[in-house]
Amino acid sequence: MDPNLERQLMSASRSVEEVRRLAYRDPARIGQLVEQISVLADLRQKEGDFRKAESLYREALYRAQELKKPDPELLCGIHSLLAHLYDRWGRMDKAAEYYEKALKIADDAHLENNDKVATIKNNLAMIFKQLRDYPKAEQYYQEALETFRSTDGGESPRVASVLNNLGVLYYSNMDVERAQQMHEHALGIRQSLANDQLDPTDLSQTYINLGAVYKATGDFQKAEACVDRAKRIRAAMNGFHPNPRRAASLLIDKT
Amino acid sequence: MREILSIHVGQCGNQIADRFWRLILREHGLTDQGTPKEGSSASSNANMEVFFHKIRDGKYIPRAVLVDLEPGVIARIESGDMSQLFDESSIVRKIPGAANNWARGYHVEGERVIDQVMNVIDNAVEKTKGLQGFLMTHSIGGGSGSGLGSLILERLRQAYPKKKIFTFSVAPSPVISDSAVEPYNAILTLQRILDHADGAVILDNEALFRIAKAKLHRAPNYMDLNHIVALIMSSVTASLRFPGRLNTDLNEFVTNLVPFPGNHFFTASFAPMRAPGQEGQVRSNFPDLARETFSQDNFTAAIDWQQGVYLAASALFRGDIKQKDVDENMASIRKELNFASYMPSAGGLKLGVAETAPEGFATSGLALVNHTGIAAVFERLVSQFDIMFDNHAYTHWYEAAGVSRDMMASARDSIANLAKSYRDAS
Repeated sequence: MDPNLERQLMSASRSVEEVRRLAYRDPARIGQLVEQISVLADLRQKEGDFRKAESLYREALYRAQELKKPDPELLCGIHSLLAHLYDRWGRMDKAAEYYEKALKIADDAHLENNDKVATIKNNLAMIFKQLRDYPKAEQYYQEALETFRSTDGGESPRVASVLNNLGVLYYSNMDVERAQQMHEHALGIRQSLANDQLDPTDLSQTYINLGAVYKATGDFQKAEACVDRAKRIRAAMNGFHPNPRRAASLLIDKT
Repeated sequence: MREILSIHVGQCGNQIADRFWRLILREHGLTDQGTPKEGSSASSNANMEVFFHKIRDGKYIPRAVLVDLEPGVIARIESGDMSQLFDESSIVRKIPGAANNWARGYHVEGERVIDQVMNVIDNAVEKTKGLQGFLMTHSIGGGSGSGLGSLILERLRQAYPKKKIFTFSVAPSPVISDSAVEPYNAILTLQRILDHADGAVILDNEALFRIAKAKLHRAPNYMDLNHIVALIMSSVTASLRFPGRLNTDLNEFVTNLVPFPGNHFFTASFAPMRAPGQEGQVRSNFPDLARETFSQDNFTAAIDWQQGVYLAASALFRGDIKQKDVDENMASIRKELNFASYMPSAGGLKLGVAETAPEGFATSGLALVNHTGIAAVFERLVSQFDIMFDNHAYTHWYEAAGVSRDMMASARDSIANLAKSYRDAS
């Protein structure tokens, strides 16, 4: 194991143990305990021990519900973390169930216009796509898009990401025309982003996706040009990959 | 080190914990707070790390997780002499209670608390270097120890498939009973012990009650019964805690005592059985001690001695005992034990000697046996189960908490089959 991760795990375990003792005597500390448990769970997930991560998140969840005034944002957040864990674990049904529970909590607490909720919707859409429920996937992507447009602005990185996701969805549903619209829109946004906001991996991904779309429409010249651009971006990164986890799935909830 | 983690679940499980840890603290020369007593030598020749975790200031903390759905018993432990002994981060108590209903302990309340229990167990396991397994104490007739205990067994087996799991399971009896639904709870729990544990010492309240009554000359209460249980646990675990040759780890227990898969239900006998505080009054010679250890009415389960046979047995004598006495006396006792015809005549009974006797005793004997007559305990519970179940009595409480009649019937059938497999092995 990565010695750095091991150290972090040990110290997080000790913190949880310590706060457990405090919370045992003083229920007012439960909020603090929930926080520490989530930290440990996140590390367990990084370590790849999904079983321990699951049971930690679930404890955090039940503990958070014990609070006198359960905080809906906190509850919604833990549900989404659990859902994200199930997603990585390959347990799609559970992931969908917990994302939906998270949305229900957000809905009841009127947290709709919140970027965390939009993230949940985007991730849930991705699961419905994998479960081949395209109408539901599209609906959640559209809702996420709408929220990100109002929270981040129409030309923001997260809007581009959701557009990209929608493009991939349309493409896998054989709707090449709309896929092209989405990817071109995403490209427009990503090209205009300042350097510190742009992840070159995302940009090259957009070129690859567009290349696939052009190829499907029969425009091989444009397709080749796109793939070339993508290759050049990758080459310029010189093997440097800022965030490998984002390469496969697009938007990952890290809160 | 080959550490063992004890998990105490429910009211009965924690009352046993209270008695058990009290006894073994003394055997290891520790105070009620877990610090070594001055001038004590017991700790130096013992495998302390098996049951205790030593922290920086020289204090020993039991490797124990205490779980209950009602705060009462744990609160008493915490406010008593051993208030400083247990680590508060390894105590899990929740208020709602399982209302004597297995299904509530397993599903409703259990669901809310099981992850916390597992996290606490994981944390305790991480403090070990080479865990050999788990001991669970619980009653199988109540709600928390039975229902939540079952859930813990399931999750433990999933999380630690290669570790040994032993239970000390108190079985209900109408002679000392809290509720009508105990047979339901017992059958549902026994099914989980059958599926997920490697060994179970059955402590049958019917037999414990009879033993206690005979020795105390009055109607015994739960504390009396738990004291007997603690004495037995302390002796069963003595071979793990002190250097010796017999049953030095849980694997060896299983190898010696379980001849067929699933037939891992044991009964035990402790001698000399005395009321608390009267231990020192009788100093028995070895032949008497050996006789009492294997005396049929001294065993903790209401065994059918007439119809059954011994499958395997082990005996541990503690205190100032000469190997020569053991060899001479046990040869004749062994001849009287009715072993299954297919068991090796010499190998069926394993003998061990340990120097340290339990606190207050000069010498003591323990027999731990696998006897096919234990079928009688299961048959008794199954027939009590059937009478209510066939009339649909109380089953709605279980259905309301997510346990269908089908699930109950399937548990009943597994235990009826278990009884049959013991009968067939006779």
